[in-house]
Amino acid sequence: MTLLDVFTWIDHLWLGQAIRDSSWLFAFIEVFHLLGLTLLLGSIIVVNLRLLGFGSTRETLAHVAEDTMPWLWVGLLLTIPSGLCMFTAEALKCYENPPFFIKMGLLLLALIFTFTLHRRLTRADENSVSRIWRTLGACISLALWFGVGLAGRAIAFY
Amino acid sequence: MSPLAICQALQDSAIGTSIRESVWVFPIIESVHVLALSLSVGIIIMLDLRLIGAGMRHTSISQIVDGLKPWYLTGFALMFASGALLFWSEAAKAYESGSFRFKMMFLLLAGINALIFEIRYKPTASVWDGKAHTPSGARVVGWCSIVFWIGVIAMGRWTAYGMR
Repeated sequence: MTLLDVFTWIDHLWLGQAIRDSSWLFAFIEVFHLLGLTLLLGSIIVVNLRLLGFGSTRETLAHVAEDTMPWLWVGLLLTIPSGLCMFTAEALKCYENPPFFIKMGLLLLALIFTFTLHRRLTRADENSVSRIWRTLGACISLALWFGVGLAGRAIAFY
Repeated sequence: MSPLAICQALQDSAIGTSIRESVWVFPIIESVHVLALSLSVGIIIMLDLRLIGAGMRHTSISQIVDGLKPWYLTGFALMFASGALLFWSEAAKAYESGSFRFKMMFLLLAGINALIFEIRYKPTASVWDGKAHTPSGARVVGWCSIVFWIGVIAMGRWTAYGMR
């Protein structure tokens, strides 16, 4: 079974067909995707600004990370299911769409980075980590997540 | 000159036409408009969630407002600039779109709501800030902000969808 077979099978699922047949369902699902993006990138921005030494600087880094993390999860819970729904409606279009594969690659990297190195960086005692590592971690995190968003936007334009 | 005629003239202007017909400029402006949601509404929603007591419990209100103000103001500046350019290129279509009018209405409500927060609640925030329980009026402002911004985003999505 090739990747094309898998994408074709997904494209023919009833869910994708129902979304394609509806005149408004795709846009409706996309609203949830955008709300999720707002929460997800919003929380990423707040924690990374703190990591860079901006924003809520009177608060400890660990506290800011603890405060924003639940909203990263809510963002993921909104974007991933809505994204999967949109994917079923456009699986075959996505197969020929380089931005889609770039987005999925970046998403995988962003998730791995967030829940491994970035997590350790934000939970560590601030004084034990050098400023260079914190700056680098924040920049990588922002670049990965905004890359996901940009590539996602490019799917529709390609 | 009617508003529609003004919008039509904007849309037909050299700048409006070149944005609309460009291969790269329109997608770039639209990407900025979508991604700057994170800096603008994304940060404001964190503040709202703190106001309604749904999270950000370690961070005080004034801490969020003061520390992040330059960032969300930058976000809103990006949103308005990119939004104005998008409107310029499709002004007449937007003027006639019902969802665009709803979006502007929600935007106005969100703006008034933010003004109420700035005038009525922000000056006294340092008094009730540290407490877990925010004044009920400030909680209402937080809820209204969330609802209005969801309205803006949903109607914005609908505007683009309807004009496709």
